Amino acid sequence: MAGEEQENNNNKGFRLLGILDVQNTPCARDAILHGAGGSLAAGLLHFLATSRVKRSFDVGFAGFMLTTLGSWFYCRINNAKLRVQQRIIQSGIKNKIVYEGTVLDPTNKPGAETPSGPS
Amino acid sequence: MAHPSQLGFQDAASPLMEELLHFHDHALMIVLLISVFVLYIIVTMITAKLTDKLILDSQEIEIIWTVLPAIVLIMIALPSLRILYLMDEINDPHLTIKAMGHQWYWSYEYTDYDDLGFDSYMIPTQDLAPGQFRLLEADHRMVIPMESPIRVLISAEDVLHSWAVPSLGVKVDAVPGRLNQTTFIVNRPGVFYGQCSEICGANHSFMPIVIEAVPLAHFENWTSLMMEDA
Repeated sequence: MAGEEQENNNNKGFRLLGILDVQNTPCARDAILHGAGGSLAAGLLHFLATSRVKRSFDVGFAGFMLTTLGSWFYCRINNAKLRVQQRIIQSGIKNKIVYEGTVLDPTNKPGAETPSGPS
Repeated sequence: MAHPSQLGFQDAASPLMEELLHFHDHALMIVLLISVFVLYIIVTMITAKLTDKLILDSQEIEIIWTVLPAIVLIMIALPSLRILYLMDEINDPHLTIKAMGHQWYWSYEYTDYDDLGFDSYMIPTQDLAPGQFRLLEADHRMVIPMESPIRVLISAEDVLHSWAVPSLGVKVDAVPGRLNQTTFIVNRPGVFYGQCSEICGANHSFMPIVIEAVPLAHFENWTSLMMEDA
């Protein structure tokens, strides 16, 4: 049942222009939405300032490209940093389990097991 | 394995494939933006009412449409080269397996263990158990320990074959008389499927590769059992 639901979700991935799977690609959906918002804002502001329709469309399109690219790179860089951190944490957990209770255990306190002096 | 009508890559099972997926997303976003840009230019040119027959040159736009594509190409090339060199890093494998291509099956030799080798034939469709995958299942799987660097030496006994496992990002030609090497690490336990990727005769489509990644303790148990059976 769960497998079928997952397959349905995979099949429903929407490909923008048949190229980019917006739903299943990390950061893609946010980048496109930010781009759409940036495009609308830039085009509208330019039109309100100049009342030139065609040029406002051009400005809106330029806004879409720049906002999409900027949002995409920002999100992907943060994603990449998180993945690096995740790998470091994973290897740290793995090493902790491997070394636990041995001399190499970083959490071993050096004075904890020394015998007490004569009373 | 791939699900029906799948267009994109399979989920990554090795760090290298994860990097390839990451790069593929990056390249596709650039491709999408260029396509949208071209579409917009086409629509603008079709709907433009102005024409000018007297324009001979324009230095500014020529500089722009030379510099911008160069920048885009650099943005694509730098991550691509990074992954290319990442593939060739030496990572001290824990296990070496030989994969030999035959017409029409694969054979695997674990020479780190004495006399451990077996053939891997496709399970015919009529012999499949419920839940097994058509044209993908094999009678003997190549079992490997997970999270260990594995070296696979690939060659062929007769004609060209190619040993490919998409979810690991591996595809290496099996050439008779030549030994090709690849290394990979499997991140997670599971069963990963691939198919012969070089035309090799009538049953080229019917010699799959099945890799089963298991925890190290299970792998040691498996090798003991296999050597006992041998």
